[in-house]
Amino acid sequence: MSSVVPAAVTPPGGDPPAAAGAIAARSPLELFWRRLRADRVALGALIFIGLLVLVAVLAPLVVKLAGAPAPNVRSTDALDPTFGSATGPSADHLFGVDNLGRDVFSRVIYGARVSLEVAILATGSAVVAGVVVGMLAAYHGGWVDTVISRTLDVLLAFPILLLGIGLASACSLGDGCLGLIQPGLGVVVVVIAIATFPYIARIIRGQVLSLREKEFVEAARSLGASDRRIIFRQILPNLVAPIIVYTTLVLPQNILFEAALSFLGVGVQPPQASWGQMISDASAEFEDAWWFMFFPGAALVLTVLAFNLVGEGLEDALHPKARK
Amino acid sequence: MNDLRLRRARRPLPSRPLLLGCVATVALVLGACGGSSSDKKVAAGGFASGLPTDGQKRGGTLKLLGSEGFFHLDPGGSYFQLDYMVTYATQRPLYYFKPDDPKTAVPDLADGPPQVSADNKTVTVKIKSGIRYGTNKKTAITGKEVTAADVKYAFERGLNPSVANGYEGVYFPLVGADKAKGGPISGITTPDAHTIVFKLTKPFGATTARALVMPLTVPVPKSYVAPLDAKQPNPYDAQPERQAFTGPYMISDYKAGKTITLVRNPQWDPKTDFKPAYLDRIEWTIDADPNVAGRQIFSGTGLANADTPTAGAVKRFATRAKDRITFTPLGNRFVGVNTQRKPFSDINVRKAFAAALDRRAMLLARGGPLVGQLATHFLPPTIPGYDEAGGAKGTGADYLANPSGDPAVAAKYMKLAGFPSGKANGEKVVMLGENDSPAKETAQITRDAIASLGFDVSFRLLDQSTLYSKFCGVRTELEKIDVCGFAGWLPDFSDPYAMLTANFYGKSITAVNNSNASLFDDPAVNAAMDKAALIADAGDRAKAWGAIDRRLVDKVAAVPFLFDNVANIASKNVQGVVGQWIASWDLAYTSLK
Repeated sequence: MSSVVPAAVTPPGGDPPAAAGAIAARSPLELFWRRLRADRVALGALIFIGLLVLVAVLAPLVVKLAGAPAPNVRSTDALDPTFGSATGPSADHLFGVDNLGRDVFSRVIYGARVSLEVAILATGSAVVAGVVVGMLAAYHGGWVDTVISRTLDVLLAFPILLLGIGLASACSLGDGCLGLIQPGLGVVVVVIAIATFPYIARIIRGQVLSLREKEFVEAARSLGASDRRIIFRQILPNLVAPIIVYTTLVLPQNILFEAALSFLGVGVQPPQASWGQMISDASAEFEDAWWFMFFPGAALVLTVLAFNLVGEGLEDALHPKARK
Repeated sequence: MNDLRLRRARRPLPSRPLLLGCVATVALVLGACGGSSSDKKVAAGGFASGLPTDGQKRGGTLKLLGSEGFFHLDPGGSYFQLDYMVTYATQRPLYYFKPDDPKTAVPDLADGPPQVSADNKTVTVKIKSGIRYGTNKKTAITGKEVTAADVKYAFERGLNPSVANGYEGVYFPLVGADKAKGGPISGITTPDAHTIVFKLTKPFGATTARALVMPLTVPVPKSYVAPLDAKQPNPYDAQPERQAFTGPYMISDYKAGKTITLVRNPQWDPKTDFKPAYLDRIEWTIDADPNVAGRQIFSGTGLANADTPTAGAVKRFATRAKDRITFTPLGNRFVGVNTQRKPFSDINVRKAFAAALDRRAMLLARGGPLVGQLATHFLPPTIPGYDEAGGAKGTGADYLANPSGDPAVAAKYMKLAGFPSGKANGEKVVMLGENDSPAKETAQITRDAIASLGFDVSFRLLDQSTLYSKFCGVRTELEKIDVCGFAGWLPDFSDPYAMLTANFYGKSITAVNNSNASLFDDPAVNAAMDKAALIADAGDRAKAWGAIDRRLVDKVAAVPFLFDNVANIASKNVQGVVGQWIASWDLAYTSLK
């Protein structure tokens, strides 16, 4: 935000004050925040995500305050006594119960934890791996670039979901894969990271290929800067914006990916609550027990939508010239 | 997907008159309670009886929808409820149970009842003339008459590793069988083309005679099948359309995991058979989604279930189409834990688990009281020995006293097992379950019970076929797993021997196609079973087996939780007839309306 600098105040050791009446430029951060704030939709989505994260972190407290049982507590009394089937929303169970008598509200809240945890960890891992690999390929060029690029091509050619199912199935029994990828949440995170990092690597590679030819990089090189210094001081800071944007765009995809893996039975294993798994369990009962699918489904839709809107808002705020 | 259909068809010869069915819970099929043909259509509670009626319509195509595949369509290896539905429609074993008379085995291929010698060591059977083989493609045996030598070969090939029959040694202790590995068995002779004589190593004739309903007795022409038996996998099983058929139908097409089609067998002579075989054609889809199938059967025509309907489908039919759902009491269900591997090798840990398990939740997960009653031991109500084992009240074991589970009793036994706090210290337990309902839900309830004891449960759900063919049914894999799927049993015939030995007799443990899910092998129990198997008197036999049932509960060979009522559903234009001995549609009696 602009400001008028008062005259005649010189901080000790500082530069002489600008002439009276001069306007200081806004910093890039200030400009970014101004643009983002103006985008009410993105801001609303950001607030929603903030609340979601808060709810996920404070899940036990939220569930307790709502008077709901813990997510894995089965209440056979809540089931239909004749058919053993799920029953709908009631005073005791806000969102009803599932076919094991577990509180759906509680499981939706705890499911947020799984979805966010997996998405953030997987996306973070994919971004780190993608940035490192992409930078390596583009900066060094030559055979390094060739080998890495072809490897990425092969990985990109795999259908992601099938790759994910295969890896998750293979690593979900016994000691996991190579003793490193343990069955459970770890498998899901690794699978999603492996499946998505090639996209980021490709994008980063393209960015770096362009950046390394820029004058400031040449200037740094001619001044004797090492490769490491050039990468960390010159190139990486210029990648921050695209990394942020692509992260926010990839994150909701990974939330859906986790839901899909859980839906197919190779993601998070029961009894851990996961929105995708709840939707999968509910698909058999939808005709008779709509609540069982509706609430986790709505949570998933709203979360993915919110992240997508934030991603778009960030992109607009960071690259205003790219706006349509 | 549906819960695993129970192994083995049996036939519930109730220990008390079928009048029991009239006073049991809501949904039992009434075999003997019906009188006239119109009464026969309706059971207690207004549900369909599943009995044959007069004037059933001939012709048409029935479509079966199922999600479970077959285990073995080769009659020599067939030992699964779904396998039986096909085998008994396409083949003729020596004896058969009519759908409306589960008490009496009637001669099918045989020409009269089996003759058991006075010393109980020889069983002689005469077979009918004029029964001929039908095949899809013309071969040297097409139209050839069945002879006693074909039945002899059926038994001999049962011991061939490429057939690997799972019960031959149990029911047929034949002289010379221990040396035969698919070759001739000296204890089986055929003095003429229509007589077969079984010589037994012990006075087991009373049991062996009952077992002559099994599909192993289906004739197999040696000249045609022996070259196939030399191969692995055996084409007689893998390509069942190549079989030599003796029943009213034959398999015309089979795509493993997808579809199977039965058509009329042109060589079948109805004059030699009592089965009406109303339908012209049966088309069976094997990879149907169980939830979708339930809805299709409800609103479609010409459809019926192949495997257990989902709880949702049962509810839909029971509330909106009572006349199209049948319930047949049969068999049991239990959770088998590996008794040869820590921690469950410790009987106190098994008792703790039994106490912790919420069996009421297991019943509700499977569909509530309509689909069964809580079990407190292993012999179900329709099998002799049930009362002697404690009946509905059970044996009095404290770890089975509370159907919803009893944490205090569980803690008590954990302390006796050496866990002073009453809980384990996070020791790992490996559990595999099925990933379709209701097995998925019962697996989670079981997992919760084990976790409540303080164990760290490594829990994974798999598709049914992989679970049982790669893990639970393979001994070397089962040895590494603490809880593998779920087990349940349908007796091959109404006898406690047929109900208990496959699951709890030490010698029943086999390398493949294993039915002893707990790997339970107790010398004292084995000896008691050996002794009880030789008892001919019905009352003494029931008493002896009732005592064995109690002993199995005392030793926690497994944890029983359900005596099943098996549901079957059909579209409105299907006159479904249930073989009560198998609790599945009898395709030779079912028709369209």
